[in-house]
Amino acid sequence: MRILLIEDDRRTADFVVRGLSENTHRCDTVADGRDGLFQATHDNYDVLIVDRMLPGLDGLALVKAVRAAGVMTPVLFLTSVSGVDDRVEGLDAGADDYLVKPFAFSELLARVNALGRRPALQAEPTKLRVHDLEMDLIRRHVERNGQTIDLQPKEFELLELLMRNEDRVVTRTMLLERVWGFHFDPKTSVVETHISRLRGKIDKPFAVPLLHTVRNIGYSLHAPR
Amino acid sequence: MRLANLYRSTPFRLALAFAVLFVCAFLLSGLVAFDLIKKELNARYDNRTKEMFSTIAQAYADSDIQDVIDATRAHIAATSGQRSLFLLQAPDGRALAGNVAPGSVPEGWSERPGSDFGIKGDYSYRLYSGKVGPDNLVVGTSNEETEELIEIVAGSFGWASIVVILLAVAGGALLASRAQRRLDAVGDTMARVSHGELAARIPLLGRGNDDLDLLSREINDALERLSAAVESMRQVSSDIAHDLKTPLNHLKMTLEDARLKQDRGLPVAEELESLAEEVGAINQTFEALLRIAQIESGARKARFTRIDLNEIFATLAEVYGDVAEDAGDALVWTSDANAEALISGDRELLTQMFANLIENAIRHCPPGAIIRLNVTTSRDRIDTVVVDNGPGIPAEERDKVFRRLYRLEKSRTSPGTGLGLSTVKAIAELHDAVIALTDAAPGLRVTISFPRLGGPSGEAARLHLTGS
Repeated sequence: MRILLIEDDRRTADFVVRGLSENTHRCDTVADGRDGLFQATHDNYDVLIVDRMLPGLDGLALVKAVRAAGVMTPVLFLTSVSGVDDRVEGLDAGADDYLVKPFAFSELLARVNALGRRPALQAEPTKLRVHDLEMDLIRRHVERNGQTIDLQPKEFELLELLMRNEDRVVTRTMLLERVWGFHFDPKTSVVETHISRLRGKIDKPFAVPLLHTVRNIGYSLHAPR
Repeated sequence: MRLANLYRSTPFRLALAFAVLFVCAFLLSGLVAFDLIKKELNARYDNRTKEMFSTIAQAYADSDIQDVIDATRAHIAATSGQRSLFLLQAPDGRALAGNVAPGSVPEGWSERPGSDFGIKGDYSYRLYSGKVGPDNLVVGTSNEETEELIEIVAGSFGWASIVVILLAVAGGALLASRAQRRLDAVGDTMARVSHGELAARIPLLGRGNDDLDLLSREINDALERLSAAVESMRQVSSDIAHDLKTPLNHLKMTLEDARLKQDRGLPVAEELESLAEEVGAINQTFEALLRIAQIESGARKARFTRIDLNEIFATLAEVYGDVAEDAGDALVWTSDANAEALISGDRELLTQMFANLIENAIRHCPPGAIIRLNVTTSRDRIDTVVVDNGPGIPAEERDKVFRRLYRLEKSRTSPGTGLGLSTVKAIAELHDAVIALTDAAPGLRVTISFPRLGGPSGEAARLHLTGS
């Protein structure tokens, strides 16, 4: 993927570029807001990573300008201000996701991958399928290998998110935000508990596990390889 | 107080302005009175002049001017000094009778200086002239008496003005200096506070209920809150410094270990892992502190929406039911059947607040505990309760646990930032909710009482909680 990183802190920029390059992404860096706006609107990128506080033009104004120019490239905000208002502002301005500094690179990579491969325009699927696990989104019915699986509403949402991101890592934070609407780090094993319940229903009774733990990062649902 | 200072003082300026205003009003009313007196006096003298003229003129009978001459002379005789002027002139200008030199006077009223008639002195005369038969009679009255009277009036008025001005200025200065002394006390106190003497308070110099005292009391209250805030900030920064020292020391030791291992060619992955963990924990502490500060700023109030607390509890009961079960505890949620528990609030923060309380209960209770969530709705309040039957918090510690980074001695060793309850309190206060920790014997009961949306809010909360 081609990624544009607009970030004025050299160390962060180097860290991100190195990581992304190692993961076969091509990454351009710009340190100034105005240059970033020019680059973002005059070149084709798959994902923009934008720092909130930039010289020249701040991140919020930059994203607004990018959107106003009709460029719909997915935008990930990097912000050191974790206030909810800041995040809401960022998303309102047209960003697709945000990540609070300091961040783990794995989290950034997972989010960038999720954004970049997000299908641009596609009819909403009514059925999801991973290996022999099937989810009917209309009937809200899940079965594996022809065997019906009963899920609690939140377990269903959890599985849906994992299935939609098949073969990609979904981080703990992403799960907390999207499934439970938690924007804080719980002190108890909320995620682990629910993942383990889900695993008990979709994996335990079957020979091949589909739900895999990616240590210290999150979870990934994929067919055996 | 030096004169320049006195002039700069607001009370003195006010007093001075008031004195000027007062003197102006006094002078204006004096002028009006003066004018009225003068007019009245003139009218009276004119009457007398006309009367004398008529008396003399009546003496005239059938072309015999002699009676008139006699009458004129009689009047002249009765006049003392030169207060009145009489002149009877034949048509040719010759004086037939009179106490002054002849002169020409137009008919009717006129005013002429005495010198026109050879009279010494500065006085002028009001004259009435008219025909008596063929002759001309002039009767006049000097304005001497009027002038004298007016002089007396003006003189006394002038003295009164001086006294009034002196009284106004002196009184104003006196009152001003008294007010100024009290203002100076306020100024001095503020100067002391700004120089770091946070305990300084404004002395109440009045009777305790005037505006300056009320203002002083307001300022004192503000100073009280300010110094409490500064004190808690001081406390927090020293707590933070203290709290960070331990993990930073751990970091340093782990780094040393890693370096030693590296020197010996051993893998250091384990150390790096532990370093990352430590740094993560430090970051979390800062995140939580920043978040509390952000909540306390109150900016989020602008985003408040209608929230049904039952919905939040339903979600949390679902999320944490399994977590509690895994920890060997039970989570029970009860609520008024189908009653809406509506408040104005921020869903994300409220979720975090209750999640915090539930997580505290799960973490601090031994397995087998029962954690109950309850929402009750009354006319104007909504009470939410999170109660467990675990170890509880000793009564003397219950206030301290809301302090940032404060942790009970026994939980020092378990993970946690010591900011959970501070966050809870900040969120509750943002929602104008009142939080109380009570003994559930055994266990801890956390009650948070919200003003009900649409219900009469305000002080009711405090009364309600302390009353029950």
